[in-house]
Amino acid sequence: MIRFKSIISRIVILHVIAVAITSILMSLALSWLLNMATNNIHSNAMEEQALTLAQHLVPQADGSLSLELPPDLQGLYSQPYGRYAYAVVDDQGKTLFSSLKDQTPVFPADPRAATVQFLETRKDGAAINGASIRQTVGGKTVWVQAAEDLANRDVLIDDIVEDFFKHVGWITLPILLVLLVTDIAIFRRALLPLRQASEIAQQIGPARTDIRLPLDEIPNEVRPLVSAINQALDRLDQGFRVQREFTADAAHELRTPLSILRTRVETLDDPRVAKALHLDIEAMSRVVGQLLDIAELEAFTIDPSEVADLQEACAEVAEFIAPLALEQGREIALLGATAPVWVKGNAEMMKRAIRNLAENAIRHAPKDTVVEFVVEENGTVTVQDRGPGVSHEERELIFRRFWRRDRNQQGSTGLGLSIVQRIAELHGAAIDVQNRVLGGAQFSLRFVTAGKTS
Amino acid sequence: MRLLVVEDNAVLSELLAKGLHTAGYETDLLATAAEARAALMTTSYAAVILDLGLPDGDGLSILRELRHHKDPTPVLVLTARGGLQDRVSGLRSGADDYLVKPFALEELVARLEAQLRRPGQLLGSSLHIANLEFDLRNRQASIDDQPQVLSSRETAVLELLMRSKGRVVSKKQVEDHIFGLSGEVASNAVEVYVHRLRKQLSDKGAKVQIHTIRGVGYLIAEEKRDPV
Repeated sequence: MIRFKSIISRIVILHVIAVAITSILMSLALSWLLNMATNNIHSNAMEEQALTLAQHLVPQADGSLSLELPPDLQGLYSQPYGRYAYAVVDDQGKTLFSSLKDQTPVFPADPRAATVQFLETRKDGAAINGASIRQTVGGKTVWVQAAEDLANRDVLIDDIVEDFFKHVGWITLPILLVLLVTDIAIFRRALLPLRQASEIAQQIGPARTDIRLPLDEIPNEVRPLVSAINQALDRLDQGFRVQREFTADAAHELRTPLSILRTRVETLDDPRVAKALHLDIEAMSRVVGQLLDIAELEAFTIDPSEVADLQEACAEVAEFIAPLALEQGREIALLGATAPVWVKGNAEMMKRAIRNLAENAIRHAPKDTVVEFVVEENGTVTVQDRGPGVSHEERELIFRRFWRRDRNQQGSTGLGLSIVQRIAELHGAAIDVQNRVLGGAQFSLRFVTAGKTS
Repeated sequence: MRLLVVEDNAVLSELLAKGLHTAGYETDLLATAAEARAALMTTSYAAVILDLGLPDGDGLSILRELRHHKDPTPVLVLTARGGLQDRVSGLRSGADDYLVKPFALEELVARLEAQLRRPGQLLGSSLHIANLEFDLRNRQASIDDQPQVLSSRETAVLELLMRSKGRVVSKKQVEDHIFGLSGEVASNAVEVYVHRLRKQLSDKGAKVQIHTIRGVGYLIAEEKRDPV
């Protein structure tokens, strides 16, 4: 079975086949009809001739019949002309009159035959075609036969048949082709709303679940499919919404008790216990926060038209994280571009990704070293440290949720880099992990630049 | 100084009130958006601490109404939803600052004071970091209670840094602050003033450190003594 890529090509191919078959069948049918018509004309002519002959049968006083043909008719049936022949046969099968030399009947006599009969026979290698009629003349029943030698058939009729195939027959083909072209045009027009719907459908993605395909112009035949797609999108959208609501509720339910716990601990009298508990709460809060971040990112959608200034995002993260870094004895530096670097995506999410990279770098950087942020005009942000670096074997592992090199390391949830990866995915950004020549890890995120200058 | 705390969780609300009381603030505790609306109509508060997740409506709508009536009362938003859109919409609706739960009480008080100290808001006559004090009324810096002589631009830089204690002040902010919008600024002018200020402070024995965050800005903090 041939598989067609498009409805139009399917229609064209099938239509061409149909046109070919139809034009052959039509020609055959027409030529059959034409033959029928010419045969009919011939048969009628033969019957006429037989009737004319019968009129010239004259009953004699002795009860016999005589045939008195006028001269023109005699000429018609004369042997030299040879085209027409007649015979009169009585009910005994005896030939009364015959234009043939041997005085035989043209067709074998058959008393059971009907009043009018069209017959065919072969004589001396020639096809003879004609009519036989039953007549009663002077109380005698006779059969008058008139026939024509088909080899000498009327030239005009042959010409018509031949002409038909030459000119008239071929006209069916162009007509059918015009019909084909018209059909294609009609189909293209009919499919136009589908094409428009497809263009709209192309915009649908995780980032845009609010788009629905327009139903107004869609043909009834395809409408069930299109509305099924819309319903699927509704369910998808609903799924996203449920996830978002869940995340919001979970955030509230988890963070409010943590706030209470934290505030209670802060007002404890014993500062040593308070400090220990405080660190625990901090760690717990981090895990909760990052889990909620991940849950949120699962259902987060980016408006494809959104653009952000990567340089500014980096600067904000650097500002935010610098006090924390300084507290832990690490410095922060922002290098590279100083002018805005416009990239496609959501600024808040970029900040989250960069912040997670930075927190990761600060955690691994030795004391009194600098964690550097480098922004490039091509939409790349690199966060580099002077820590132990990332071995080749670990380059895939580090992005896994809850993966940690050292399960006992303080402050690491094993979620930060998976958040970075998810944000990169949502933005179609490339992540690159390298080790620096002089030691340390270097994480790069390359966003898609948005050619915006304002 | 009276604050309005709109928080539906009674336990957290009580704890906040207790903490804020210790920090020297009186609080009115309300649990619903309707009560908060009524209170804001009749009473003038120094600041509002607003939880976004209220049982009878979104805290953001209160904020919008407040700003719609051109009420400049500082609003500090508390949110359990650290969500991207929440933060952005919170600030767009006119929140002056926001804190994501769970927050440190200390942080809340610090942010609150930063808001109350803004121009137009009156609070606190002086700022302290270690042995360095900056009197906001007469713009006088002192180290170990000894008044210091600083140039007006050095004073301006110090004031800006101290107002933003614990936070980074961008180089641009410093430029705007000391030079205003007028005139061309030499590219290294800020560095020069910061350098001078740093030297002055260390010469006079201030136990503070002005950190340079390359490419970002400056931050003043208590000097860190590495354990020897």
